[in-house]
Amino acid sequence: MAADTSDVTAGFGQVSRTAGRVFRALLLAATLFGIVFVTILLLYVANDAIQPLTADPGWHLTFFLTLVVPTAGVGAFVYRRSQAAFQTGMLALGFVAVALLFSGGAAMLFIDIVRPLTWLAVVVALAVPAAIAVGVTAYDQRLPFLARFGVTTAAFYLSLFGLPGPLGTVASWLSQLGLPIPLGATLGSVRLVPSVVDVVSGVPVAPAPWLMLVATVGGPIGVVAGHAVARDRGRRARVAASSAFLAVVAVAGVVGPAVGVTPVPAVVVAAVGVVPPAAYAADVAVNAPRERVGLAVPATVIVGSLVGAGIVSVVGLAGPQSWVDWAFLTSAHSTNAESAGFYPSIGGSILLMLSVAVLAFPVGVGAAIYLEEYAPDNWLTRVIDVNISNLAGVPSVVYGLLGFGLFVTHLNRPAGTVLIGGATLGLLILPIIIISAREAIRSVPEAQRAASDGMGATKWQTVRNVVLPRSFSGILTGTILALGRAIGETAPLIMIGAPTIKFSLPTQVSETVTAMPLQVYAWSSLYATPDFYTKVVPAGVVVLVTVLLAMNSVAIVLRNKYQSHD
Amino acid sequence: MSGDDLEAALTTRTQNAPSELLSRSFFFLCAALSIVTTIGLIALLATEAAKFFTFSAPLVGVDGATAGIVEFLTGTNWDPTNGSFGVLALVSATLMVMIGSSIIALPLGLGTATYLSEYASPRLRSVLKPALEILAGIPTVVYGFFAVIYITPALGTVLPGLSKFNMLSACVVVGIMIIPMVASISEDAMSAVPDELRQAGYGMGATKLEVSTGVVVPAALSGIFSSFILALSRAIGETMAVTIAAGSTARFLNIIDPGAYTESALPMTAAMVKLVKGDVTGGGLAYRSVFAIGATLFVITLVMNIVSDVIAHRFKEEY
Amino acid sequence: MTENTAETADESSDGGVTATTGAATTTPTTPPEPVIRARDLDVFYGSERALESVDIDIPEQQVTAIIGPSGCGKSTFLRCINRMNDRIDAARIDGDLTLRGTNVYDAAVDPVALRRRVGMVFQEPNPFPKSIYDNVAYGLEIQDVEGDHDEIVEQSLRRAALWDEVSHQLDSSGVALSGGQQQRLCIARAIAPDPEVLLMDEPASALDPVATSQVEDLIEELAEEYTVVIVTHNMQQAARISDKTAVFLTGGKLVEFGDTDQIFENPEHQRVEEYITGKFG
Repeated sequence: MAADTSDVTAGFGQVSRTAGRVFRALLLAATLFGIVFVTILLLYVANDAIQPLTADPGWHLTFFLTLVVPTAGVGAFVYRRSQAAFQTGMLALGFVAVALLFSGGAAMLFIDIVRPLTWLAVVVALAVPAAIAVGVTAYDQRLPFLARFGVTTAAFYLSLFGLPGPLGTVASWLSQLGLPIPLGATLGSVRLVPSVVDVVSGVPVAPAPWLMLVATVGGPIGVVAGHAVARDRGRRARVAASSAFLAVVAVAGVVGPAVGVTPVPAVVVAAVGVVPPAAYAADVAVNAPRERVGLAVPATVIVGSLVGAGIVSVVGLAGPQSWVDWAFLTSAHSTNAESAGFYPSIGGSILLMLSVAVLAFPVGVGAAIYLEEYAPDNWLTRVIDVNISNLAGVPSVVYGLLGFGLFVTHLNRPAGTVLIGGATLGLLILPIIIISAREAIRSVPEAQRAASDGMGATKWQTVRNVVLPRSFSGILTGTILALGRAIGETAPLIMIGAPTIKFSLPTQVSETVTAMPLQVYAWSSLYATPDFYTKVVPAGVVVLVTVLLAMNSVAIVLRNKYQSHD
Repeated sequence: MSGDDLEAALTTRTQNAPSELLSRSFFFLCAALSIVTTIGLIALLATEAAKFFTFSAPLVGVDGATAGIVEFLTGTNWDPTNGSFGVLALVSATLMVMIGSSIIALPLGLGTATYLSEYASPRLRSVLKPALEILAGIPTVVYGFFAVIYITPALGTVLPGLSKFNMLSACVVVGIMIIPMVASISEDAMSAVPDELRQAGYGMGATKLEVSTGVVVPAALSGIFSSFILALSRAIGETMAVTIAAGSTARFLNIIDPGAYTESALPMTAAMVKLVKGDVTGGGLAYRSVFAIGATLFVITLVMNIVSDVIAHRFKEEY
Repeated sequence: MTENTAETADESSDGGVTATTGAATTTPTTPPEPVIRARDLDVFYGSERALESVDIDIPEQQVTAIIGPSGCGKSTFLRCINRMNDRIDAARIDGDLTLRGTNVYDAAVDPVALRRRVGMVFQEPNPFPKSIYDNVAYGLEIQDVEGDHDEIVEQSLRRAALWDEVSHQLDSSGVALSGGQQQRLCIARAIAPDPEVLLMDEPASALDPVATSQVEDLIEELAEEYTVVIVTHNMQQAARISDKTAVFLTGGKLVEFGDTDQIFENPEHQRVEEYITGKFG
């Protein structure tokens, strides 16, 4: 019946598929255009900055043999055995890279910005009242809320500021204005009760800085990591795992000097850069036996790099003359392209990011909670709602004007400081944080709220016990993306008068600060020697883009993980 | 529990507990801060710009206090050091950035959205969407650098008359920068089109091409337009890329003349940066003019955002 | 948004509504004082009427089943009792609903405080993503209940017939349990703060037959200590576990209320009989 079939086919006719195929190809091209275009530009800039072709061919060959070939082989093997394991492996690899990157930033904080003793003092000063707060709650749960609140607030205030502290300054300031405050004039200068911060930073005999960091940084990270690894295996296993991680950090402080790294950065890198990925790997190895094989991928990469590095240094093969080198990362600007560095801008960006996070995160999440959980459906809510989406669309340069006009012109603060930069960028990303936090809060299932309300929970109890824990990772993702936006911004910093070139890091929030994008802009508008244009700026761009890509990928991985969990 | 005890229990005002009041007022204050920000922004721009207009009139030799605004809004010559404050010179450059970048971003963004929403497999989409997000995460100062150092020389080989700083490369990078914005908002609108509409299209014997262009795109049109306007508003407010790439010579250009795009010009945002980087002494005329430009920019972007919002909500298709 | 009508509902029943009390049945000779009493209760969602002049007396320590076709307002009535309808902005309630003599829609009554005395179990099991212990202790924590929480948690889990299955894993997550276990966990959570009344909104509809029968057995046992009001679309279930049955039919009207045996064997209304015999619904 072949003839009949073909008749039928002929009867239906043929709809041309060519147009469809062309259309589809065009759409794909449109999708890939921007991605490919920017990827090419990034490769160009990486090439200019790192100069891989200046390396000895033997150097390339060595790393090809020790790193690329084994990684490709192991990767293919793992991928064919289990895709889930492969993903775990890639995640672990990314985790190592990102953690090491951030540990560099953290090390910088402890070397140049915060003295370890001050840090210890602040940690102790926060830990003491926190312990008091927990103790008060544990002692009697039915203590009136106001009493608990009062005791806790007082404990924190005393511990951080002592008496009379900033309130005394305010009081003396008010008495100067003519308000009848007893002892007003003297309150600003005297110190009745020293704060815990003062006491601790004033101790005559302090342990070595790196030991303090082992306790204050390694301790908490070790405990968290230990709990993550030994979660269901009882108390003893948790203590053992935590101690093991803490030991790694302590050992780094001892071994560091032997390999030429001072103890302080060694401890910080071990605590921030090594322990978390190690904990992840241990977690996979112990708790996810099926994905264990995936760990072969990061292991191959790490071992391959070390072996390769050993071979090239023994044989004496020259590596690429990269402009992104240790000197670039650790020195300040110079008129000479060869010795120009990025250090003050990296540190400035870190400080700005921290102050933006401290200022914008609580307010943004608070506003999102209000709008999603509390706000009645009235005109004020609608005004706030519309207003936030419009604020998100205001150009960043206008926020810079706001920062300058408000803080510098009207409040007479010095221009371009960490605080003003943080406040301006904080206002800039506030709408973004609010919008993403609202989305995260909205995704909390209604059944969970109903369960809590049905138990007779008050609004705040439902928010604290149900809504916030469920939406936390979503809120965190949005915040990381918003922080990425903040540290990529240049225009607002220019408008508030941040200096484009600084030679040292600020040690206080009231000092002026520069930032990575600002430094890149300064270099690219210097019209100095061509080397600045073709070497130094690309090096800066590579560092800036690496940091941002790391932050964004952390956020995206976090979101994917948490979406698949729901 | 007896009835009286129960009544006492039921009438406990849990809403007035201190923890409730404190948390509720804190959250409200956080939300209200956005209103404070807006009021502060508007008040600041208005007062500082008003100072500029009352100040500038006598200084530039024009009679009357209000002539400053007219001069500002209609003048085509921008030269602050000589007292010429014609913002149209800057606006023309900004419009060129908007037009040039939209020629790139709107079709590519719409194509991307259509592909992601209608054609891409879930797996491909899970790769492409984060890639686009990362594209949007690259700082604008980097795009500006790309424009000057790579794109302008590349374009120079095709267009010999291209000056070192020019509008064309600025438009290209701004265009690429705003693709993700167009793509993601349009894709949301297209994904929201219910499957029944597509099924109806296929049921009529339409091809995928016909369904995509004839059913999905028209159904999602309000979302698509709203994404276009938001992206244009973003292009107008874009600062660093144009500051680095477009040059620093303010001139009034014919925005529909393709030849004009090979020249350098000074968009509004770039002019603000230039003024601040230059000899701004607090309170001086040049300093005030920054606020005047800022106010103009704020009004333009605000209007565009509101229009986009209205289109997205007023003309939202009810499925 | 709720409104209270100050006027007391008069007893005159209109048209089809009959409230037969338990005088002629096998229940104890002195009719117990009702725990929940509704008089002329109306609920509107916007302009749509969800309940129409409902009069009912729900007795103490018995299982009262509420049955009816979907959309008849049976869940709406249940959610009136602990004012969960307040969470819907468009809902408006008229009439009286008293819990042991206190009008729950009185302006002085705090809905949150009310819900602390009236426990609720939902259609879909909805344990919190916390440990089993924390799930059961949730009500104790938020209500600052005095006493030994460990003991109350154990007792509640025993009453919910879950203790033997989870006693060794109180620290593991509540959402990792099976559907039937989750629902019994939710029941344990609801009874832990010792409420006056336990409301159940089709608690077994999302469960498999084995889990359903476990939950049904549990409900019968709970009635020894608690007043249970259960909404169900499953008439066999109502017949098996309840002492009293209320039948709602379309339009939010309570058509018949009485002893379960009587409703299922000899209903007064033609429509109720048709519904029970499966002619519609």
